[in-house]
Amino acid sequence: MGTTITTSGGSALSQARRTFRQGLGFILRFQSFFGLIIVFVLAVIYSPIRNDTNIFLSERNLSNVARDVAETGILATGQLLVILIGGIDLSVGSVVALTATGTAFLLMRQSSITLPLLGTIDVSPMPAEGAIITILLLGLAIGWWNGWTSERFKIPAFVTTLAMLSIARGLAHIWSDSIAVPISYREGGADPSFEFLRTRLYDNVIPVPALIMFGAGIVMALVLRYTSFGRHLYAIGGNETASRLSGISVTRIKIVAFMLCSFFAAMAGIVHAAQLNQGSPNEAVGYELNAIAAVVIGGASLMGGKGTVVGAIAGAFILGILDNMLSLNNIESNTQLVVKGLLVVGAVALQQFRPRDLT
Amino acid sequence: MIQHPAAVETSSEATPRATILSMQHITKRFPGVVALDDVSFDVYPGEVHALVGENGAGKSTLMNIMSGTYTDYEGQLLLNGEPVKFHNPRDAQNAGIVMIHQELNLVPELTVYENIFLGREHVSFGIVNRGSMRRTAQKLMADLGLDIDPNRPINRLRVGQRQLVEIAKALNLNSRVIIMDEPTSALSEAEVEYLFGVTRALRERNVAVIYISHRLDEIFSIADRITVLRDGRVVGSALTKDMTRRQLINLMVGRNLDVLYPKLDAPIGETVLRVKNLSLRAGRTRILDDISLEVRQGEIVGLAGLMGAGRTQLLETIFGVYPQSQIRGSIWFDGKEMRIKSPKEAIEQGIGLIAEDRKGQSLVLGQTVTENATLAALREFLYFLNIINQPAERKAVSRVVSDLNIKTPSISTMVANLSGGNQQKVVIAKFLMAHIKLFLLDEPTRGIDVGAKAEVYNLIGELAKQGTGFLLVSSELPELLAVSDRIYVLCDGRLTAEFARGEFDQTAIMEAATRFTNGNHDDQPGETGK
Repeated sequence: MGTTITTSGGSALSQARRTFRQGLGFILRFQSFFGLIIVFVLAVIYSPIRNDTNIFLSERNLSNVARDVAETGILATGQLLVILIGGIDLSVGSVVALTATGTAFLLMRQSSITLPLLGTIDVSPMPAEGAIITILLLGLAIGWWNGWTSERFKIPAFVTTLAMLSIARGLAHIWSDSIAVPISYREGGADPSFEFLRTRLYDNVIPVPALIMFGAGIVMALVLRYTSFGRHLYAIGGNETASRLSGISVTRIKIVAFMLCSFFAAMAGIVHAAQLNQGSPNEAVGYELNAIAAVVIGGASLMGGKGTVVGAIAGAFILGILDNMLSLNNIESNTQLVVKGLLVVGAVALQQFRPRDLT
Repeated sequence: MIQHPAAVETSSEATPRATILSMQHITKRFPGVVALDDVSFDVYPGEVHALVGENGAGKSTLMNIMSGTYTDYEGQLLLNGEPVKFHNPRDAQNAGIVMIHQELNLVPELTVYENIFLGREHVSFGIVNRGSMRRTAQKLMADLGLDIDPNRPINRLRVGQRQLVEIAKALNLNSRVIIMDEPTSALSEAEVEYLFGVTRALRERNVAVIYISHRLDEIFSIADRITVLRDGRVVGSALTKDMTRRQLINLMVGRNLDVLYPKLDAPIGETVLRVKNLSLRAGRTRILDDISLEVRQGEIVGLAGLMGAGRTQLLETIFGVYPQSQIRGSIWFDGKEMRIKSPKEAIEQGIGLIAEDRKGQSLVLGQTVTENATLAALREFLYFLNIINQPAERKAVSRVVSDLNIKTPSISTMVANLSGGNQQKVVIAKFLMAHIKLFLLDEPTRGIDVGAKAEVYNLIGELAKQGTGFLLVSSELPELLAVSDRIYVLCDGRLTAEFARGEFDQTAIMEAATRFTNGNHDDQPGETGK
């Protein structure tokens, strides 16, 4: 392209057009943010009114929205990392089921392992901290497997994580004998401190899971923005060959991205178990799609190299508020699925309108 | 029509001839930028019209308007004197205007004839008529004098042959105007000659050819008429025989270039790289065979050879791209024997590779100048916990941007928006920041314009002065002869000759580069390097 800068504007029409394009570009850059505002406003407008109060805006309802969004938000934060490197992780839903089941099992059931030399050691029931740490480590291990198999055998992440989707679900069933493990805090039950995860703080308004989501989001946003790891994720997604030839340990960084993704999935699984007071191998079906949808609505590119944590969490909120709005209006959940699908297509189609960069 | 290198005098003299295509007062704006400013451009049938200009001069934009890719412009297009407006590339194709892109538009898995008829398959009774397509393709190949089997998949052809298939495809469309955008950038000399033969045959058929190239030699040997674009304007247009090389260069860059490829004198120091008996194999085939060479501090060592001689693979082997299991022989760097197992290790030792494909292998186009410049040296800007010291990073990048005279609106501009020459400088900057002692350069000036080439070589000369060693691969022999201190010649994975600067001789180098390709293995003279 030429590089002569226009000096004297041109016609008023083209001036107006340019302003319009700039405005459009601005809105599209913060697409998820504007999308969030629009969905929020729609939710307020279409909310049923009871006793002169807007149900959607009621403290309780907003608190519920935040709680419901938390799991998707945590999953989306992890999913974003994998999508940034041009990969995808389809296994997170199953990993939530496995880790939720595992959490419940470790808190409630007795189990032991037999080791040579050391003999039989009682493993569970565990205190809350022990269970949480064990499950998070399990998440890291699953992520390592996803990343290592993808890289070592040059298999697309779509395939390796599709395999993990099946493996993790199967392990969850095996671990719990295919039945839900309930969590109770009565005598002889789970460590009561675990119940903290299902409480709401500050006058019973802010759900703990939402705080976890924001904490995870803020940490990852800072990591992506300010560390070499973050910079390298974007570089690998943008051009893997150039990154390798620039001396970046591409393989290692990709594996770490998968590990963090599953780590966050395990975190969501723990929250899930706490919320439902049980861990069931049949839970969390299709959660991976919510996470991917949130990331994409948040403006990330499935080709890699583009996307933000803020966008991903905003995407999760857009999905959550939409769900809430439709539920408040008694629209059945099947319709919600249709609306969600259309929203994803719409969000991605919008990105195609971005003013093309001059090349 | 058989390819005919003859065609001495075409009728291009007769001035008041009807144009086949005339672009009148074309202006094209992009947001904030005027890419073309009142450009008029005439194309006559039976003429090869070269369009030249530095990167960013507006050549591609003009061609994209002509071929229907850009539809939003001011000005008028006349086809055979009639005003036309193309709404998409298909419109332009139907009107007989076809563009052969730099990036080939062929489906690698499909065969030659399937590609030629892509989108316009011969159909009888609703079924694709392969026989008819094969026969037509065969005839087309024969017309062009091409020895390519139409049943071969594209991915089994060499790049040069693919280019010729593109041309066959264009001819199948009954094209009257064929636009060739840098058609020779991936061709060997023999293939270039072949392409020229075909081009001349096209001229015989009264087809108009618009020929875009950076290679001035080619332009002077093939073009009948030359038009020069600079900064979106036409700065000159004349018959080739009325223009000298120097005039053309001056028109292109708008200033006098005293020396095209400057050679700065640098003191030659210690040996920085020594390669001994290096071999590289892939399966059974030997890609590199027993290569020994050395590069000293401040020295620019040229590596000549044809496409496929193993030049790129030699650089990549030194850079640690291939697994050790494929490599025999030893590499000594800075006086120590090394086993470099990855590009990461190579960079840590002080070896940088500027790869052949700038966009595909060197740059993250969607990222900023800063992010690209520090990609290889980020570890030098880290606090604890790998947090990037962004102020220090910005400062260092600003310095290198001004040192290398990289023309960019700011250091946070996306590199995709820079011109080719400036992009290449960003790549050089990337390795400069990583304290490189030895640069492996693979076609560092491919696809960048004359002015930027001179600047890149100036930069290389400056770095050599400071003691950096260079191993330089270039397909453009004049460049190699101009800037190198020594030249090694590779042929078929083997080192066939070494020349010191005083002994440079284009003919001898070409002879060494083609020694094994003609099958005369036995009568090689005894001047083999080392």
